[in-house]
Amino acid sequence: MLEISDLCAGYGGVPALRSIDFEVGQQEHVAILGPNGAGKTTLLKTISGTVDADSGSIRFDGQDLLSQAPHKRVEAGIVHVPQGRMIFASMTVADNLRLGGHRRVARDRHDERRELVLEIFPALADMLGRDGGALSGGQQQMLAVARGVMACPRLLMLDEPSMGLAPRAADDIFEGIARLLKSETTAMIVVEQRAHEALEVCDRAYVLESGEVALEATNRELLADERLAATYLGSGPGSP
Amino acid sequence: MVEFLQFLVPGILIGGVYALLASGLGLIFGVMRVVNFAQADFMMLAMYLSWALFAGGVGLDPFLAVPAVFVVFLLLGMAVHWLFIRFVIGRRENHDAQVILTIGLGLIFQNLILIRYSSEPRVVAPSYANEGDFIGDIFISRVRLYAFLLSVLVAALLFLFLNRSRTGRAIRAASENWEAATYMGIDIDRTNRIAFGVGVALTAVGGSALVTFQSITPFVGFRFVVVMFAAVVLGGLGSVSGAFVGGVLIGIIQSVSQVWTSAAVKNVWVFALFLLILYVRPNGLFGKVQRAI
Repeated sequence: MLEISDLCAGYGGVPALRSIDFEVGQQEHVAILGPNGAGKTTLLKTISGTVDADSGSIRFDGQDLLSQAPHKRVEAGIVHVPQGRMIFASMTVADNLRLGGHRRVARDRHDERRELVLEIFPALADMLGRDGGALSGGQQQMLAVARGVMACPRLLMLDEPSMGLAPRAADDIFEGIARLLKSETTAMIVVEQRAHEALEVCDRAYVLESGEVALEATNRELLADERLAATYLGSGPGSP
Repeated sequence: MVEFLQFLVPGILIGGVYALLASGLGLIFGVMRVVNFAQADFMMLAMYLSWALFAGGVGLDPFLAVPAVFVVFLLLGMAVHWLFIRFVIGRRENHDAQVILTIGLGLIFQNLILIRYSSEPRVVAPSYANEGDFIGDIFISRVRLYAFLLSVLVAALLFLFLNRSRTGRAIRAASENWEAATYMGIDIDRTNRIAFGVGVALTAVGGSALVTFQSITPFVGFRFVVVMFAAVVLGGLGSVSGAFVGGVLIGIIQSVSQVWTSAAVKNVWVFALFLLILYVRPNGLFGKVQRAI
């Protein structure tokens, strides 16, 4: 579904991604792990088009993606839930969800999609009239994911959905994502510091280091190999 | 008290028009962070269009010409965005280019009009231009009342557009966080183009509301540009409703200050209040942007 080959990107001449090869299959769930500054966020931004690629190629359903404007990529079904949530703070939760469903195919399905996201994150149901900025961090993150789901994504990209959240709130997010994946057949990329939680909902993982793919493995391989787990996942479940 | 009201009421009426002029400037800044120094010259062009439609044989009443003015300037604004503005949007290092471009456009507009129509002041005087009604002891000029009602109506339509339409919501989203809006699948270039067109058209309509009591010259923009910028900053950068409140406030101050001091120094009072409010609230009354430039 998504094929990235030899991708390089950077900011003002400073390389952030060096020759990345990366792949997501139909309905596959892929985790991207790695330390801060490894290029995880840059990779997602290059896919969604808010960072320009310097060289290499990204294909989605066989179509060249890099020549397309960012909003066209959303129309193709690539939906990015950015790091730091980026809720529209001065707009209501309902309006945030409505904006999530801006994608053309999602417009006619607004009511049905909203029902779905409120099933995934029931806590949002009582807050539809509240301003996005008045929500707690955990609630904002639920809204950010819900807003992405509104778009009927074919490839959903979640950038650190647990960042800055208390463990309880982070658990709520991952439980919501697990509920989502039961009813939806979307492909997914999750960037996470909480490697174990991410692997629970993923089939495969890439580990990025200094802008390069350091390791690519199925989650079973990663979790089974103690040395790999110790190197790339930290000491155990729940560790940051 | 009656004397006070005699100044307050016209202040509110002209303030409504200032508010409309400023809301266009505020919308453009709020959405794409471009300070459009040509804004008052778009107003000037609109005043000439109203004058041409009125005096040029058609005899169209300036208030009835408003829909035409709106459409013409919506399209003109979108064209100017497409031709020029979109190339200087975004990056901080483009800021100088934005200033030079918009000031340059303003100068070109002024001088094209000067070449075509000379600097002779033009007046639009419909039959009811000097009429008015007394409410109690307070005289209310009819054209100023119409100008105020027009401004309120247009502001209400703007509010509905921004809050109820899909495009309006997309514009608000883009103005709050362009990156997040991009992830929603919003075409930022398109929302910028529409916002620039609407912003120019709002100020243009404000201009055509003024023509019945403000004579028109190629440089009439100078009389209003300061008021427009003060209203936007007073209300708070990035807030369209703030720009609106700022405009009304300035109209009131300009007018009411004449109870105590001469009309010649009315803007002194405006700037005294301006400094006071910015001292107490550095981001303006409803400010969203901490540091824009």
